[in-house]
Amino acid sequence: MSEILWILVIALLAGAANALIGSLLVLQRRVMLGDAISHSVLFGLVLAYLLSGSRDPLMMFGGAALIGLFSAWLTDLLHRLGRVQHDASIGVVFTFLFALGVILIAGHADQVDIDPDCVLHGELALTPFDTLHIGDTDIGPRAFWQLLGVTALLLLMLAVAYRPLHALTFSAVHAASLGISVALWNTVLAVMASLTAVASFDAVGAILVVAMMALPANTALVFARSLQQMLIGAVLASALAVLGGLALAAWLDASIAAAIVVAAGLLLALALALKAFLRRSSAAHRETPRSQSA
Amino acid sequence: MSAWDALFAFWRLDDPNVLWVTLGMALLGASSGLIGTFAVLEKRALLGDVLAHAALPGVTMAFFLFHTREPLVILLGAAAAGLLAWGLIDLLTRRARLRQDSALAIVLSLFFALGILQLTWLQRQPLANQAGLDKFLFGQAASLTDADLYLLGTVALGLILLTALLFDRLRLILFDRQHALALGVPVRRYELLLAAMLVCAVVIGLQLAGVVLMAALLLTPAATARLLSDRLRPMLFIAMTLGVLAGVTGANVSYLAPRMPTGPWMVVALSLFFIAALLLAPQRGLLPRALRQRSLRRRVEEENILRTLFKLHEETSVDTLWSQDDIRHHRPLGAARLNRILQRLHREGMLDGTPERMRLSAAGLKRATTLTRGHRLWETYLENRLGLSPERAHFAAEAAEHVLDEATCATIERELGRPSTDPHGRPIPERPDAAEAPSR
Amino acid sequence: MTKNRVSRLLSVLLALTSLWGFACAHAEQAPLRVVTTTAMIADMVTGIGGERVEVRALMGSGVDPHVYRVSFGDIQRLNGAELIVYNGLHLEGRMGQVLERMARKRPVHALGEALPAARLIAVDDAGAHDPHIWFDLRLWREAGEALLERLIALRPEDASLFRTRAAAYFARLDALDARIRQDIASLPENQRLLVTAHDAFAYFGRAYGMEVVGLQGISTASEFGLADLRRVRQIVASRGVKAVFIESSVPPRFIESLLAGLESAGQPVRLGGELFSDSMGPAGTPEGQYFGMVEHNLHTILEALQ
Repeated sequence: MSEILWILVIALLAGAANALIGSLLVLQRRVMLGDAISHSVLFGLVLAYLLSGSRDPLMMFGGAALIGLFSAWLTDLLHRLGRVQHDASIGVVFTFLFALGVILIAGHADQVDIDPDCVLHGELALTPFDTLHIGDTDIGPRAFWQLLGVTALLLLMLAVAYRPLHALTFSAVHAASLGISVALWNTVLAVMASLTAVASFDAVGAILVVAMMALPANTALVFARSLQQMLIGAVLASALAVLGGLALAAWLDASIAAAIVVAAGLLLALALALKAFLRRSSAAHRETPRSQSA
Repeated sequence: MSAWDALFAFWRLDDPNVLWVTLGMALLGASSGLIGTFAVLEKRALLGDVLAHAALPGVTMAFFLFHTREPLVILLGAAAAGLLAWGLIDLLTRRARLRQDSALAIVLSLFFALGILQLTWLQRQPLANQAGLDKFLFGQAASLTDADLYLLGTVALGLILLTALLFDRLRLILFDRQHALALGVPVRRYELLLAAMLVCAVVIGLQLAGVVLMAALLLTPAATARLLSDRLRPMLFIAMTLGVLAGVTGANVSYLAPRMPTGPWMVVALSLFFIAALLLAPQRGLLPRALRQRSLRRRVEEENILRTLFKLHEETSVDTLWSQDDIRHHRPLGAARLNRILQRLHREGMLDGTPERMRLSAAGLKRATTLTRGHRLWETYLENRLGLSPERAHFAAEAAEHVLDEATCATIERELGRPSTDPHGRPIPERPDAAEAPSR
Repeated sequence: MTKNRVSRLLSVLLALTSLWGFACAHAEQAPLRVVTTTAMIADMVTGIGGERVEVRALMGSGVDPHVYRVSFGDIQRLNGAELIVYNGLHLEGRMGQVLERMARKRPVHALGEALPAARLIAVDDAGAHDPHIWFDLRLWREAGEALLERLIALRPEDASLFRTRAAAYFARLDALDARIRQDIASLPENQRLLVTAHDAFAYFGRAYGMEVVGLQGISTASEFGLADLRRVRQIVASRGVKAVFIESSVPPRFIESLLAGLESAGQPVRLGGELFSDSMGPAGTPEGQYFGMVEHNLHTILEALQ
């Protein structure tokens, strides 16, 4: 039973970390970055493999993280310098890097068998069995420590840089007018996004990352009136989704990660329905337009 | 076979696979360039990627219902899931007012997760062979055959015809949906039609060419076209042309040497087009933009020196020769930099004399007069009408003098009742061609 | 310490151990709970263990390791296992790595890793090997022998039963192995060529004297190009091969494009049928079991190339 407990803790951590970074990315309209990094890491995996000549997990992780960071940075650069719209810059970068990765694999056909599904993407359900040891003492699952570290880093970043990040997610122009270095904080965000994404791919798999960046943040955005409310709301929503998802997975005997995503989706639907209901019942009372450009 | 032989062999096109792949990729490139432009303009550039993931529950459902891996059945399942996904994106963005990229990420992960849920359920059922179900839909570009050409041709032709017939309506809906609604255009019907075409094109492309190629084909040509033009019609043409070119390039490269995958090389070709446009596009390209910025900076530098010389002449006479030190006395500048600017002014015939001892030429005097006139009129206007102090008015005019045109100057002059001096008490020159320039 | 006291201590210890052994024999009447990853492995464990093992395959017989996803119940299944048997050699991807690390806590056995590296086919420079060992029946038997020792070590009291059943299972493997050898040898020499989309049949080819040609490299993340199509087409045409084959875990259109190209160039070749590569047929059919699956592949190859 302790396995299920570990899975719960790890999923809560992964949910919280991705919900935090996801909230910032949602406000910046580049939440598809998570999905993009999940594709572009292929290039990093192949490069790390070809350069080091080993399929050592640490090497793979390093290669993936570096290329994840590179693609996040390049995307940001294309958007700011080249004035390419966010989604297009994300797409151009990840398809290009992925294609380069496939070309490298094909070119070394006899020597390389790399597939992100096999060497990088972890499986939430198996995390409790992959434990770390100091000497002979079992100190708990590797994924737990990994995600704990990432979550702590994210909280540290938010504590230290809440004001610049707040200004940046509100609008880059606004941030620049306050004398905040847009390039610097965008780079910090890119580093954290790619670190969170790759650490979570490794721990719990890609689909949970893409979903937990987008779903809880948008659920929170339905009601949140400030960045602080949104961050807290997103973490709460991700925790609810994890609990609901575990129950769903147990009931259906199905993939836990997928069930958590579905639960998070149901939660968003619930929040949207509640909002619509509230708006209808108080339509005469007042209208609350949310800032939203099409 | 050497590379040259292979190149000739390729262009003979007598290898059937080469012919099919080249034609097929050209057709696919054209239709996805077209439809991708619409998607990119709607900020849904990543739709190809989303629909590829969203196809999974369609595939598993079709397999579950019909217990077969028959491609047509699977394809229909994927198309149905694609339409549902499109509908959900539309609902989330239009009704729930979520951001486009959020809606895309949500639909992608939700549909994919539903597919995995069904897979974990299926794998406990004693059903037929499930091998490769997750990748079953995803073809590779080199595996195109003649049978696919008809399908691709139909889709490409249908899309082009539809766009040509409904071009004005589609443009209206795309750029001003509210206006279209107000005009009574059945917007929903057109959007559904477009969505159906889009989902068809994407799903067919997926099972022929694979996920990443399809994502790239939809967005990279369109993003490139966006860099090159702001208008819909040229954008569509550019995106389609680039799609076709990349298709031919990818097929060509993958024929020249073994282990050169067709699809990824197409993506690389598309990306190179994109990079070239990013650097060189006349309006938005990085290089032309940098060049424009440089020429603006140079013009400002030159005009500042011209004005300084004008003021020096004003203090004495237009015939006095001035040294570089005299100029630097009024305008603090590095010696090397000033030298470069003066050399440029000499080349442009704005100066007489040598680079060491110089005065304004007739042309230089005319331009300096115009600049000074603008500067002083603007200063006067700011002081008189806005009540700015002479110092602040001077700084504002330092920037404005480079962009003020004669029409504006004339308006200000009329507005102020033809003032003769500026707030500092210096004379405001007449229009240089109206009155004689100060005679020499 | 006197001699007397030592002998007294020894006799007490002896009595205690015999008692403990007796108690254990009673407590372990329940069959050994074994969890396997693939259905091929489950087939072998059942073959050796019979009634004395309770086998559960995480991947059903029609399930491909690439498609398999861990479900909630699989955690309990892994947790309750007294022995976990998997293929190794990266067949199970990340799950294989996790199982490897689980060896610290509970008994796991990797069939492929127990084989001497010299008997395996290397696929890259980093010491990775082709995982499809079950297509060489002698190699599969060797893997089975190591598994038998492992089972006996875990349940010494069932050793004789395991040995008897294993002998029968290995005899079946030997018989089928001999038949494949004979049947493939009966093919015309120029037909001993197995053309598929990407090679899962390297061990099969090495063991039974068939050359194996694939469109793309070993990695499933790779793609092939037009030059690769041309190369394979030239091989097929120059050798006069009668048929090429679809693999169950690769989209059929890859091979179909090869066929269409050959036909259009006036060198028509038949589609030999579908070979099982990473998975087996549905449970309850002959192809849903290891021997049936191998026989299906053999039959398909013979029918097509004879």
